[in-house]
Parts: sequence; structure tokens; C-alpha cells
Amino acid sequence: MTLEVDGLTHRYGNEPALEDVSFEIDAGEVVGLLGPSGCGKTTTVQAIAGHVSPTEGQVRLRGRNVTTDPPETRDVGVVFQESTLFPHMTVGENVAYGLRPAGYGPDERAAIVDRYLELVSLSDQREAMPAALSGGQKRRAELARALAPQPEVLLLDEPLSALDRGLRDRLREEIARIQRETGVTTLYVTHDQETAMALADRLVVMNDGQVAGVGRPRELYESPPTPFVASFLGRSSQVPVTPPGDPGLTLAARALAGDGGDRPETDVTCLVRPDDVTLDENGGAGEAHALSGDVARAVDMGTHYEVRVELDAGGELAVETRAEPPQAGERVVARVDRDDLLLFGN
Amino acid sequence: MSGYTGRLRRDSGHSTLLVPILLGGVLIAYFGVPFVTFLLRTGHADVLAGLAEPGAQAAIRHSLLTATIATVVATGLGVPLAYVLARRSFAGKRLLEGLVVLPLVLPPVVAGAMILTAVGRFTPLGSTLAAVGVSPTQSLFGVVLAQTFVAAPFVVVTARAGFAAVDERLERASRSLGYTPLETFRYVALPLARGAVLAGVTLTFARAMGEFGATYMVASNPRTMPTYLWVEFIKGGLDSTVPVALALLAVTLLVLGVVQWFGRVPAVIDR
Repeated sequence: MTLEVDGLTHRYGNEPALEDVSFEIDAGEVVGLLGPSGCGKTTTVQAIAGHVSPTEGQVRLRGRNVTTDPPETRDVGVVFQESTLFPHMTVGENVAYGLRPAGYGPDERAAIVDRYLELVSLSDQREAMPAALSGGQKRRAELARALAPQPEVLLLDEPLSALDRGLRDRLREEIARIQRETGVTTLYVTHDQETAMALADRLVVMNDGQVAGVGRPRELYESPPTPFVASFLGRSSQVPVTPPGDPGLTLAARALAGDGGDRPETDVTCLVRPDDVTLDENGGAGEAHALSGDVARAVDMGTHYEVRVELDAGGELAVETRAEPPQAGERVVARVDRDDLLLFGN
Repeated sequence: MSGYTGRLRRDSGHSTLLVPILLGGVLIAYFGVPFVTFLLRTGHADVLAGLAEPGAQAAIRHSLLTATIATVVATGLGVPLAYVLARRSFAGKRLLEGLVVLPLVLPPVVAGAMILTAVGRFTPLGSTLAAVGVSPTQSLFGVVLAQTFVAAPFVVVTARAGFAAVDERLERASRSLGYTPLETFRYVALPLARGAVLAGVTLTFARAMGEFGATYMVASNPRTMPTYLWVEFIKGGLDSTVPVALALLAVTLLVLGVVQWFGRVPAVIDR
């Protein structure tokens, strides 16, 4: 195991920031640390890098407990959210900066700088000052600087959040390529689930200072362990669930029945993904795995239509469809495959 | 709409500048007039003869020596303090900061009196120093003590502002790239705050060169340029101050110019 975070707990004064956070990263793996703003991602990264001393818990690098070690002895590369290129050094000097403490001589340093500038396609900017670089070039230069000393772990703390969308998508591809070429063990911190799902081999989803779920992106998306993970990874609507027997709620009732018998007393949360719902203008309520309601509105999103259905049983259901959608006010029946229902016992 | 923005533009272009120009103009004129009238006096005085006086030459040597030592001491002790004040918070920090600026608000004569109460000839510290052959009063060492006390806050306060303006994340990046806190200070914080530190050094030197009140209290002898000027003024009136005053002005301006040139310090505020 390259990196182990074990029972990490941290408080800023009396303000709890992390609560028993544990996860592991294997050699060469890319793990996405995903969660909303303020969920404790950055504190986790700071604790791994050594810029924050956790109140409790351990950080281990290749089995070595580094929890109380200073940052300079940890062998952890960091790319921060905002640019931290040294403004008084050229791009080349920035990339070379970490090589001297790593013990490389001047000739080796020059060769390594060449190699990493080439890796991030910045060979022409070697003599440029950071202020002369574009936003994307700055990010690439920082990536080269963090990678050049060949750290055991690379921490990327929201490296693309400050960039506009087009650039973000391109750089995301580039980061994926650079990671493949270097094979560096990477923790990628982001609040953007699209980026996390695209880059990461595994995800650690955080909420409110705690780990809400760990797994492969597809697994977590398809069978999320908690309602939070379900709603954070992709969109979903909550479908009201009441005890079986109520004719308006056969969907959930049948689902529960299919889930292993009659559990009328169990308090259950049922979530549905918008693209798992099909809409039917005919057919009565009471049908299997179907919910009836009125269309509240239908919006053309370019690639698909976004339909909001006001359910008879209460609540609103978001539906994504590529077919011509029903008009606002029309009666519809929403159907969901039994396997696509996301059920959580509370 | 266009009328509104037009009015805005006109306002910011002229009338909003008019007031500061008028007010600042009065101040600039007030700075400039005594300067010019003083320089006009040089016609009446024999500058070269005044500077040839052995007393004047000794005063110039003493001032250059003591102000340089005071500046080096103030910088060596003050810059690390400035960095800590900019980066750390700790109990009693406000008190410490108050202590650092105290010499700035204290009348120099009072500062001199206070120094005498600490290191004067009949104090424990003063007599101990005298016993090992170091006289803290009526000596060049005493001049340095007075100058350092009065001038050191300039380098501390200015450097502190410079360090505070350096993004702390740059220092974290440096740490994560394998550099200790001391190396990070050397390679990141200090170069980036260089302008402010040099500005502080310059101010400290200029203040030490010009120091009179505390110096006169602690060490009226040997003479520095300011104390020599005072004695000359008492003896021979205004005209007899002109040669050394010009020399003091010239030396201070020269040092300011050299430091600014090497440090490439932007006029007043860094960037």
C-alpha cells in the first residue's frame, strides 16, 4: 500500500473538520477524493502533505508512519488549487526547484527539467517567467514541478477548478495521459463528479468530514452505499415510500416486496436516476413499477429533454428523455426498472 | 445611460483629482520651499572650507560608521523578527508589536533618557560594560546604541509588511518540494519580500544617519554629523551648518540611490 490514511480526525479549534477518515491508495492507482465544498477534502490533503497536524489518526507512506514528519521529508508532491509557481523564478527554475533537495547534481537537474517540460509540452517556455504563462500553462508547469522529484504520491487539490470549462476538459485529458506515462500514485481532490469519474480508478466520497463511500466509480454510481453518494454521484429524485397497500405507490411497494418480503414498518429511502425513468402517456395508475402524475414542465437541454413530473403521491420526479417530451399539464405514467431503484434502509 | 456613464467618466477624470492635487500641492510646496531656501544659502557659505575642518571630517566618518553598524544590527536582528510577526500568531503578540513600534512614537530625547537609565555609567549594566572596557555612553558604541533603538523599528515594520504580502501557499509548496523552513525563508520569502526589506533597510539607515535627540543624550561625544551640526549652529549660526548639512544630505541621498538601484525598489509601494 503506497498511502494509508487511518482514522484521521481533525478539529480547527472546536470546529470539527475531519471525523475518522480512512482510505488507502495502491501503487500507481488514481484515487478521486470527491465531495462538496467544505466536506474536509482540503484538510485531508493538508494532513497527507504535512501542512496540517491531525488531532488524531495516522498517515502512512509505504508503511512508514509520517503523521508528525515535516512536509519536506515526506516525498509527497502537491499541486494546489491556485497557482503556487515561484514568481521570481523562470519556469525551468521552478521545475528544477525540488531537484536539489532530492540530491540531483546540476547536469542531472537540467536533464530532468528537459524531460518534464517536454512531458507537459512546455519546452518552449523554459525561460519564461510564470506571470507570462496562460492559466493552462501554469497548471502544466506546476504539474511538472511536482512530478520532477518523482514523489511517492502526487496530491492534486482541485487543480482545474479555477479554469473555464473547455480548458478544464482538455487539461483533464492531459493529466490522465501524464499520469499514465509516469505511473505516479495520485490522489485527485475535486468537487466535480464528472472529473472524478473520468480520471479515477477508485473514488473516496466525503461528506461533512466523513467518508460516505469508497469504490470504483461505476460501482458507486450504480449501487451507492448511502443516499448522499447517490445524490452526489449523478442526479436522482427521491420517490416517496409508504407502506404497501396504498394504490398510488405501487412502485416502491412492489420494489420492497421484491426485495425480500413484506416490510411495512421499515423506513426506506428510494431514489431514482433521471435517465432510468421512461414516460408513458397512456396506462393507468396501479400498474406495476409505475407512478402517475402531471408534467410540471419540459425543458429542451440540447442533447436531451428534461421533464419534471409532479407525482400524485407527492414529490417531484426528474426525467431525462431523448424522445419528444409530453407537454406541461399532461398526465403521464413514469416507469422504472426494478433493478434501477436505489433503496436505502434508514 | 450614456449621460450617466459620461458624467462618471468626467468626474473620475478631473474633479475627483482636483482636490488631492490642491491639497497635496500645498504639502509638496511646503516640503520644497525650505529645501530651496536652504540650498540658496550655500552661496554665502564656504562649503569646501567647512568640510575641510578636521571636526567635520571626523563627524562624517563617525556617522557613516555608526549608521552602517546600526543598520546592519537592526537588519540582522529585525528581519527574522519581522518574518515571525508576519507568519505566526502567539500569546502576547500584540504586546510585542506595540514594543516594536514604541521607539517610533517616543520622542528621541526620551528614548535617549531611557537608554541612559538602562546602560548609563552608574547602572549595573553600564558599570559592568565599563569594567570590561566597553563604554556604552560618550562613545561610538553609545551612538550605535541610540541609533539602533530609534531606527530599527523601520526595518521591522516595513519588512513585516513585505513578508505578510508573500502568499503563504508558495512557502508550503517549497516545503513540499523538500526545503526546510529556513531554506524556504532564504529562497522564497526573502527574495519575494526583497523590495520591502530593502526599503526598510534604507529607511533605517537614513534615520540612523539623521538621529540627533537620543544620540545627544547618550553620546554627545564623539560627534556625529547631526550633533556636530548642532554645535556648529550654536557657535556660528545658520551659515556654519551648511557644509556638513549638505554633506549629510548628499550621503543619505547617495545611499538611498544606491540601495534603490541595486534593489530596484519601486518608488514607495512594492508593485
